[in-house]
Amino acid sequence: MERIESVAPSSRPLPISLILMAALAVHLPLMLIRLPLNSYDANFHIFFASHYLHHWFNPWNTKWYAGFSQTTYPPLPQQWVALVSHIMGLDMAYMAVQLAAILLLVVGVYRFSLLWVSPRAASFAALATVFLGSESFLVYSAGQLATTSAAPIYLNALPYLFDWIRRGSWRAFLKASVLFTAAAAAHHATLLFGSFFFAVPVLALVLLDRQGGERTSVPAFVFRTVTIVLLVGAAIAVVLLPFWIALIHYPVTQAPIPHPSRANYILSPIWGLNYFIAPYGAMILALPFIVLRGSMTVRLRPLLLGFWVAFLVGLGGTTPVGQLLLGRAFEVLTMERFTYWATLLALPFVGLLVSELIDRFRMRAVIPLALAAAFTCAFAVAWVTIRQAEGASVKVDSVAAWLNRDRHDQYRYITLGFGDKISRLAVLTDAGSVDGEWNSGRRLPELTSNGAGSLSSSKYFGQAGLDALRAMLRHADKYGLKWVIVRDPYYDPLLKFAGWRPVDMLENNTITIWSKDGVPPAVPLNAPQMPPRWQGILWGTLPFGSSILAILVVLIPGRKQEEGRGDPAFASQEDLEPGRLVS
Amino acid sequence: MNKGRVLAVFITAATVALIAIGTLWPGKTALQYSGGKNLLRTSSTPQAAVENLGDEIRLRAWGAAYSSLGNKAEFSQSDFVHDLTGYYLSLRTYATLESFEVRPLHASSDQAEVRLRMHWSSVVGPFTTTRDLQVVKNGDRWNVDWPLVRKTVVPPQVIPENYLRWDVIYRGPGDDWGVQDVEAPHVRIVDMHPVQRAEGVVVLGELLNEDVVPAYVSVRATLQSKSGSPISTEGSFDKISHILLPKQVTPFFVNFPNATLSDVGSIRMEPLSGLVSASAGPVIVIENQQLNPAPGATVTGQLVNQSGQVVNIAHILETLYDKTGQVVWVADQYTDHALLPLTPIPFDIHIPEDLARKVSSERTIVETYSVGGVH
Repeated sequence: MERIESVAPSSRPLPISLILMAALAVHLPLMLIRLPLNSYDANFHIFFASHYLHHWFNPWNTKWYAGFSQTTYPPLPQQWVALVSHIMGLDMAYMAVQLAAILLLVVGVYRFSLLWVSPRAASFAALATVFLGSESFLVYSAGQLATTSAAPIYLNALPYLFDWIRRGSWRAFLKASVLFTAAAAAHHATLLFGSFFFAVPVLALVLLDRQGGERTSVPAFVFRTVTIVLLVGAAIAVVLLPFWIALIHYPVTQAPIPHPSRANYILSPIWGLNYFIAPYGAMILALPFIVLRGSMTVRLRPLLLGFWVAFLVGLGGTTPVGQLLLGRAFEVLTMERFTYWATLLALPFVGLLVSELIDRFRMRAVIPLALAAAFTCAFAVAWVTIRQAEGASVKVDSVAAWLNRDRHDQYRYITLGFGDKISRLAVLTDAGSVDGEWNSGRRLPELTSNGAGSLSSSKYFGQAGLDALRAMLRHADKYGLKWVIVRDPYYDPLLKFAGWRPVDMLENNTITIWSKDGVPPAVPLNAPQMPPRWQGILWGTLPFGSSILAILVVLIPGRKQEEGRGDPAFASQEDLEPGRLVS
Repeated sequence: MNKGRVLAVFITAATVALIAIGTLWPGKTALQYSGGKNLLRTSSTPQAAVENLGDEIRLRAWGAAYSSLGNKAEFSQSDFVHDLTGYYLSLRTYATLESFEVRPLHASSDQAEVRLRMHWSSVVGPFTTTRDLQVVKNGDRWNVDWPLVRKTVVPPQVIPENYLRWDVIYRGPGDDWGVQDVEAPHVRIVDMHPVQRAEGVVVLGELLNEDVVPAYVSVRATLQSKSGSPISTEGSFDKISHILLPKQVTPFFVNFPNATLSDVGSIRMEPLSGLVSASAGPVIVIENQQLNPAPGATVTGQLVNQSGQVVNIAHILETLYDKTGQVVWVADQYTDHALLPLTPIPFDIHIPEDLARKVSSERTIVETYSVGGVH
């Protein structure tokens, strides 16, 4: 029997509905088993959401740091979690919002890629998004809901930015402005750095673009760019006003906290595995293609340069670039988000590569590509299990129950050896803590002056962490800190010599509760950082309102030209400079 | 070559160059995570060999550290690790090497002596250990001969225990000692006075348990301005013995960083006491105690654990008195070795130079921590 196989390369893109189905097939089961709950920061976002659930218009949260303002962190995804939790509870609401962000990313990558490559290559880029290592790493291992929510909104805004600057479409102007504002309400850093890595290449593309007639005139380009920058800047200033007020009045001046994403990945290979191999996966094999094709194709050069800079910054301390470009911010930001952005910028190239390989080699390309994609996604998803966070196995329900009974919650507490489970505990208990996981929101001098993260993980910050812990225990009376809940006997000698005594044991004697006598009940701190009521109303209205407005505005039908952008010769061989070796 | 190729070559070359720069000359943060290790330094000098060893100890890369030793045939890797981290659970076991200093003492063409001062961080505070290392040349490399201190073995014996013990039946878990249905033990501050130091004001003194039952004690002090308003409140934290047996006295030391004595009108002292279970054991005696005068004033001696159980950490509180019997200073030190039964462990507590001349006598008390002994 003779097998017949078509050899004519297809030029049709994959239907976006099919790609969305693939995204659902891969990520929905993982969400249903609540895998992101094992990640570092998922419980942090759920904790913030739980506060919005009960106090939508009051961002002052008394459960951490003896009181801190949630206006120090853009609220959009957490507010959505709080809203959806009315239907399905906080955990599943988190999963729903995260899944929505993943689906939105598929659409965003497709639309962004259409600016650079053919619809077929763009569809492959969107399909690659489903298996993207950095997305899985951030969702299932890092738990960065804000970053993974803001990026898709931002990517969806970029084609409108292009249309506005290139053609002066006011509909596109409106849509771009609203989407950029909503992206900032989800994560301000994405907008700030995204402007350099994503928007500047798009602006450069406008200048290079010759399709549909003449080039955009320089005055028009400048006018449109300035207009949208001013409008979006003003909109973000208003929507996140309490955030800016908090930032200006109380800038982050605390001692820098070490983070392994700033390590040199060659000298510290374990962090290279964590922050380079896991997020990039098989995309590492595509790096030579990205550099070659991006250099040879004039139209793709801005995208290549955006990718390259994000790639270098994402390498943390492996190169001096991050330190040089970011200055002090290098000691404050974590670098994995730059890797995430680099991979998003690389996706149009990946789509192009996949498209060409499949057109040329058919099934001989499909099978290895599918295996590479599956391996990349699986490794990044499994990474949270391979390299578990401290305290991943800690059960905090019994601790919360203990704190909630017998008026124990009239005092404050800290945990030691609970890792990121302190957020989970904070959701479940009514008691307040002087510790927390949102370092930029804390103001207690015992915590800000030592250059360490949460007290619960003090020992991992060396002398700085232990100094912070001792300083806090020293001032236990001042903060009503009566309970120290210990899961790591490492800390027992300090507590013993400092006059604390064990009073109860939980979870088969693996958790000890230590107490100090003579500590007065906790009283609310009269902190100047407490936002006034009008800021609470703004915080509960404008960021969330910006997302509702974005949904409504995006539903306004666009003109054919805006949506399809004509019939461009995206990154085709005509764009290649002479002398290129065509594979 | 066309522009595209030039750009590709440039990006590739620049990336490789930047990675090379970042790896050969790593930044501060990158160095911190690599344990201070970079690819440029080889053991081509005695100092570099000791620095590499220090980096490996800091990274807890025991295999690499042991492999680099010149005399590794004389002991096992396990012996080497235990020499650094303690043969028994002690302060060293969980300590991390924060930093180290290397100082050449003398050198010849094929042999050198180098001093390695290791600054450790531990849960109760930092401590420093010093090792003088012989470094020998082996081809074009230098290797450290590690001066291993072998495990102390306590001979089999029977040690009778007959110390006093007081047990208290509590109403329930979480009860405050101070809110039980029994009267709190009577305690009294027998000496107290403030001292101005460069880093702030220090309130020193002694507290006596006048009762016939053991007491949990703590001291809180509030500096008040001349108008009577509170300036600052601090507690004695670990500069006090929190468990006092009947008629026992403890020093206390309350530190007020950045305060100025001239601003202080009065000091309000709040001794806190509560009934608590306690025992007089394990009994630690101090032998060969000696007050060494300035310069370099210290109190030295040896701790001997006279009980049969291992004491994992001991906290030595030294009260220093002047000729009139008034407390001049309170100094303290944690032992970094476990106290084995009947095995002397030396201590050496520094006295501030400016106070050393005033000191005429001293008194030492020791608090202990044993694993499993806190519950």
